[in-house]
Amino acid sequence: MAASRKIDNMKSRADIPADWRAEFEAAAHRPLEQRMKYAFIRTYKPVLDDADYRAFDTMEQYRQWCEKNLPSWLGYGRV
Amino acid sequence: MAAFEYRQAQEVRDAFSRRGVRYLFIGKSGAILLGFPDTTQDADLYIEKNARNARALITALRDLGFTLSEEQNRDLERGKDFAQLKNGPFDLYLIFAPDGIERFEDAWRRRVDVEGFPVCHLDDIIASKAAANRQKDREGLPRLKAFRDYWLEKRQ
Repeated sequence: MAASRKIDNMKSRADIPADWRAEFEAAAHRPLEQRMKYAFIRTYKPVLDDADYRAFDTMEQYRQWCEKNLPSWLGYGRV
Repeated sequence: MAAFEYRQAQEVRDAFSRRGVRYLFIGKSGAILLGFPDTTQDADLYIEKNARNARALITALRDLGFTLSEEQNRDLERGKDFAQLKNGPFDLYLIFAPDGIERFEDAWRRRVDVEGFPVCHLDDIIASKAAANRQKDREGLPRLKAFRDYWLEKRQ
């Protein structure tokens, strides 16, 4: 069991591209407040940002509304 | 409207704790709290769906400065699956039934505490993004899965 876990670990280490690993390592050395400062951004999203409040009875209704109303380039459409 | 900040996350944490709201950070905002280096615009909260929690949520949102009409209060109490709030000091997405997660209780058991912020486990965040299957989620999933592997390595 321990040996298989070790093999899994080695596999997961090898599977992470080096540039991504470097980014993860760098982020791990930043305090949470700084990480959040870098992470949360603000840009206008057409339609989505044009109402103060929206609510949907089901997630399916929300997904359908996104697909029908949002520009496709926002990426909210299902694949 | 400015971007969501650490101080506002603290305000959410404190107000929700004071009012007894059961919730978890989810989505990319949750992953960021866990250390994922990426960008997002939204703070996504997974709210346990029941009447008591909805009432506590409404009170906590008022404490935070959100302006909710009676109709909006009724919406939340009645039990919507999703609400988008842009009528307060910052934007919040409230998710009551995320794709890919069966029950709040299961996600709560697997949660990770980050400086007092309750956050969904990365496996749940990935499961919900995979189940939603949106273009923007699909594009980001390989890197998020790689981060999960890195994060699990570090936790061992």
